Formats: sequence, structure tokens, C-alpha cells
Amino acid sequence: MPAILKKDKLQALLSGLSRAYKLVLPVRENGMTYFKPYQTGLAIDRDYINTAMSPKEFLFPQTEKMLSFKYREGAEILITGAEPQPEKLAVFGARSCDLAGIAALDPVFGGRFPDPQYSTRRDRVLLVGLGCRRASSTCFCRAFNIDPLSCNGADIAVVELEDCFSVEARTDKGHAQLANFSQLLGEDNSGTVETSLSGAREAIDTSFDGIPDPAGIKDFLDRQFELPYWENIASRCLGCGICTYICPTCHCFDIFDVTRGKPDGNRYRCWDSCMFPDFTGMAGGHNPRPTPKERVRNRFMHKLKYHLDRYEIGGCVGCGRCVEKCPVNLDIRQVINDINKLQGGEN
Amino acid sequence: MSEKKTPSQITAKLREECRRLLETGTVHTVIGFARGSLPDRTVPVFITNPKDVEHLTWNPFCAANLSKYLLDHRRPGGKAAIIVKGCDSRGIVRLLQDNQILRDQVHILGIPCRGQYDHRKIPGLVAGETGPPDPESAALVHPELLFEKCAYCENPTPVIYDLLLDDAVEPIAGSNGRFAEITALEEKTALEKSAYWDDHFNRCLRCYACRNACPACTCRECVFDQFDPDWVSKRNNLSENTAFHLIRAFHVAGRCVDCGECDRVCPVQIPLRLLNRKIIKDLDELFEAPTPGTDINVKPALGDFNSRDPDKFH
Amino acid sequence: MIMKRLLEFTGLEPERFQARWISGSEGAKFAATVQEITEQIKNLGPNTKMRDTDE
Repeated sequence: MPAILKKDKLQALLSGLSRAYKLVLPVRENGMTYFKPYQTGLAIDRDYINTAMSPKEFLFPQTEKMLSFKYREGAEILITGAEPQPEKLAVFGARSCDLAGIAALDPVFGGRFPDPQYSTRRDRVLLVGLGCRRASSTCFCRAFNIDPLSCNGADIAVVELEDCFSVEARTDKGHAQLANFSQLLGEDNSGTVETSLSGAREAIDTSFDGIPDPAGIKDFLDRQFELPYWENIASRCLGCGICTYICPTCHCFDIFDVTRGKPDGNRYRCWDSCMFPDFTGMAGGHNPRPTPKERVRNRFMHKLKYHLDRYEIGGCVGCGRCVEKCPVNLDIRQVINDINKLQGGEN
Repeated sequence: MSEKKTPSQITAKLREECRRLLETGTVHTVIGFARGSLPDRTVPVFITNPKDVEHLTWNPFCAANLSKYLLDHRRPGGKAAIIVKGCDSRGIVRLLQDNQILRDQVHILGIPCRGQYDHRKIPGLVAGETGPPDPESAALVHPELLFEKCAYCENPTPVIYDLLLDDAVEPIAGSNGRFAEITALEEKTALEKSAYWDDHFNRCLRCYACRNACPACTCRECVFDQFDPDWVSKRNNLSENTAFHLIRAFHVAGRCVDCGECDRVCPVQIPLRLLNRKIIKDLDELFEAPTPGTDINVKPALGDFNSRDPDKFH
Repeated sequence: MIMKRLLEFTGLEPERFQARWISGSEGAKFAATVQEITEQIKNLGPNTKMRDTDE
């Protein structure tokens, strides 16, 4: 049962969370919204649709030191820091699409061979979801049956309504945290939340601009790999890493050692992009994805098919960041529509 | 004096000309703009079939510099046609001077430009909200939406072309104010400058969009792709980000044509142009060098010698 | 010069990047230059730019 938080109590809630956690929240800076660490007096962006970067960076940082190594006498190597000790982090303002993105990353880094860095951060994080009030011209979460008001996957779900916020704990961790704020929260005796929510739902559903239908895409791509279509759209791709780095579900990384010429050093894991030409470069010089065509095809196959194949979870959550930021307007919604047309031609 | 053509008039003329070029086999490919997936975007297109020229368009959202795509469409004995604005045309001069393409491999269709709208200045649209400005209007009805660089454009009319699709456009302002942004930054203290750039470089994702979009960055093996030695690693801390941008600015010094693509493509809006323009300003002061790419006969200042060059080291 | 000015533009003190032309046979000039620059740098204090450690 959702509780009510009066709008003027939001700051108190954030302040309280910041005492138990290192809190990050959406803040406007340089024309865009970013997750920034909480400080007293820091103004939360009340008007954003989504942050420039997805919150995946808090579970899977772009640059992460994995361990340090030192050579000792007798060819012994001392390894330290392999047990990650990240801070307890709370993310306030995670949208439903980004929460779905985290759900898509969980099986990648969990599963049979859990990744210690990701797992520790994931266990410790408190995810406070924030339901959306409207969609932008690039949003299309609905295409993948993601409900922008649902905050599925959050520990605590917050939705901004007309006169108040609705606040609901979804997990044991969320319940435990909200218990600390009972003096801020009120009970919803008159069913305000229910009524307001249906109004909010209607408002947001009408604000989507054009949602592609990916229903038959995976089946089609299962049968079709060599499509001339990929050559057409790949010809404009710059081969930069923008789409992969801002994508909530992308997770490729590179591991390397930094030693500054000495035998001692550190091992790092950093984001890498399948759009970079050398990404699939192999020892011996072979590169199975030598041109933009192979790389662009791989990206869309991954988002629309491979992730589903492997984890039974969609690889795209419709956040629209890649549509917004791609310098050459390579739009995954258009790709879905185009493939649907090709499918129609097949039948 | 003839009426300024509207974008749709230019589009019509463009399509007619490109159809002719493809039908006669004068060119094998046309590199141009088509409408994008949103009203305020266009996409680069590569047309080989005369029927497909209907996709070509021209409007104030044609911000991209297409010149670097010429590298993907080089054929011995063949020609590609390309549509360029003034700033883009300097990019073609860059490629010609760098011997990346030959003059007889490209047929240049120049469009004198009165400015391009920066779609990032238009707030996100939702259904029911007013759309972006009418791209069909001849006049620039929304000067506040123009890219910063358009305010002091030196070459609204392409500097190199085989055909101009509209009457030439004169530069609006004189060259006096063109380095105003740079001077303003130069006058800050070292601490202020440091804080300014730290703030920007901290946001850098190291996506390399700036490098990939740049017509001066054509090295087959880029220093930043090398991992042995690992000049600049994949770590995106402030030091490495700063190093990346300084090194790249210096690698293109004297060859950067100030097309502004680096700035436009940056997903976190780092004002990268300022680094390159600082160098252009210094080259102007020290070597009397014009903006590179303006004149194909003027060699890059750092690749040429003149007895009047200053000979101090420091 | 261009490099020096660019570094200065980003907030690095220009004295931290210097270029000199010294022949292998100009040992005294080399020693004097190194001493001079060492003094200059010491007076500037620790550099704060591009100092991220391996953390």
C-alpha cells in the first residue's frame, strides 16, 4: 500500500537517506541532468525526463580498479584489493526503463559465475525508482512492455502526483529503509493515490510519440543474418562509442594492467564498445567484424535478439538515449520499423 | 538581385542535379542529407540509384559535415558527389591537402548557408507541443537556435565547389569578434581556467565521437587506439581525459578547419571547438595563418616554413 | 609555442612546459638551464593538473 509524502517533505526524505547512504540524485548541469552526490542545498531537478547517463555506472563503473599486484622476492606476487568494498549507495530517481536495464544486467554479471564487483555493489545499493510524468520524443519503453509508472525492480517506488508523492516499499530492504521515515509519510485513507495514478497513467500514455512494434523481430532475425539492409544503415555510423556508453544494458568491458614500466601495478576494468573497430581484434590479427556493417548489425542483433536468446530478457529498454545522442540519427525505432517492413516483404 | 531560395527550392534543384549526375554516370554516389527520424534531425545518405534522389533534402537541420564520408566512397577513376556548406567545404580542402582524396574523385555541390539550427537548443517535444521551426522558410526565423559558430561564420559560401546551388552569401560579421570567446577565457586566472576545463573533461566519456567525426583525424592507426605502448588508457579519469583532448587538439593543430563537428557530436556538450580555435587564434597571431582550409593553396602552418616565422622556442 | 599556449589555456602554468635548443657539446648551458628551470618549478609549487594516481 503506497504511503503519501507531501511535496514539501521531499527534501527531508533525501536528507534522511543521505545519512544512511551515499545518495545520488538527478541534478541539472550544463543543460543536461546527471546523477550527482547529495549535498545540503543541492537542488534536485524537478523537471527532467531522464538523466544523460543511466544509473548502470553505479553498479558497473566506467573505470574500476580490480586489484593491485606487487612483486616480491623469490618471484612471489602479492595481490591486494580483490575483495571489493564499495560504499553503500542509494540512487534516487531511477526511471522504470533504467530499472529494467539493471534487470537486464543482473543475469550478465550474476548467474553461474558471479562478478564480485558488480554483485557487491548490487547487493548494497538502494534503488529508489521515480515514475515518469511524461515521455520525451525519444522515449519508447512501452515497446518492450515497460510501464513508466511501475518502477519494477526498485526497492522503493516514488511517483509524483498532483498534490503529493506516492511512496511504496517493494523489497525487504525498501521496507526497512522506509520504516526510518514513518514520521514523514502519511497513510492514504481516501484512495488519493489510486485516483491520481490513473490520471497520471493516462497523461503519460498520450505523451508517447510513436512506439515501434518489436513483436516479430527476434523470430525474423533468427532466420535472417545476411541482410543488405545492414550495409545501408551502417554506412553512416561514425564508429564512436556514444550509443554503447549511454545504453542502460550495454556491458562490454576491457581488462588491462597499468604498471608504469615497473613490475608492480594495478589491474583495471573499463567500459569498451563493440562499435570500436578493434573491439573484436584478435591475437594473430584477425577481426571478425572488420567493417561498420558487421559492427552495426551486431549491435542491433544484440539488443533485439542475442540478449533475449541468452537471458530471456530484452536487450533494449526503450530509454531513447541512443536516439537522442547518436550524431547521425541512427534510430533503433526506425530499425525495428524497417525490419518489420522487410518481414512484410518476406511474407 | 534575385530572391533568396527557400530550402524546398534548393532541395528541388539538388534532386534534379543529382538525378542528372547519376543518370549520366558522372558520379557513382551522391553523399547528401535526408530527413531523419525526428522533425529536427537529418541523416547522411549515400545514393547510387537515380530514383532515390527523392530522399535528398536541404533544411536548417543539415548540420553534419559530410566531407569525411568521401573516404568511404573513393574509387579509382570514379567520382562521388557531395553536398557541402561553407564550413564543410573547408573539410574537403583538408582531405585534398592531406592527399586523402584527389580532386577528380569528388564533384562538389555547394550550398551557401545562412546558419544551422542546433537541435539541442530545442527542448524535448511531446505530442501537442509546438514542433521545431518550419524548415521550409527561406529566412532564418529563429536566430537564437543557431549554433554558436554560425554567428561568426567566415565562409557561408563554400570555398571550393563544382556547382553552387544558390547565390553566394556574404559573411555577417567581420573577423574582429571571431575570437571573442577565446579571449574571454584567456583572461581568466590559471585556477579559473583549470576549473573550467576540469568541469568539462570530467564529463568526457571517451566515446571518441569527436575524433571520428573530424576530417583532420584520418590516421590509419590512431595513437589512442594503440595499447602497446598504452599512451592513453581506457580509464576515463580526469588526467587521461585531459591528456586525450590536449593531444588530439595538438595533433590536428594547423590542420583543423574549424567545422565544429567535434563540438556538435559530443554527447555531454564539452565545448571542444574552443581548444581548436585557441590554436587557430595562436597560429593567426604567430604565423599569420588564415583558418586552415579556407584556401587550398595555403599549406598548414605547422607543415610549412616561412622566413617570417617566429623562431623563439619559448 | 603552440603547445605551451594550449597548456596555459587549460590552466597549466606555462613555465611547466619549456623547450630549449641545446647541443650535446653545450654541457654548461645544459646544467645552467636545468638549474634555472628547477628553481622556476620549485617556486610554482606542486602541479595539480593531470596528476590522477592509479586509484
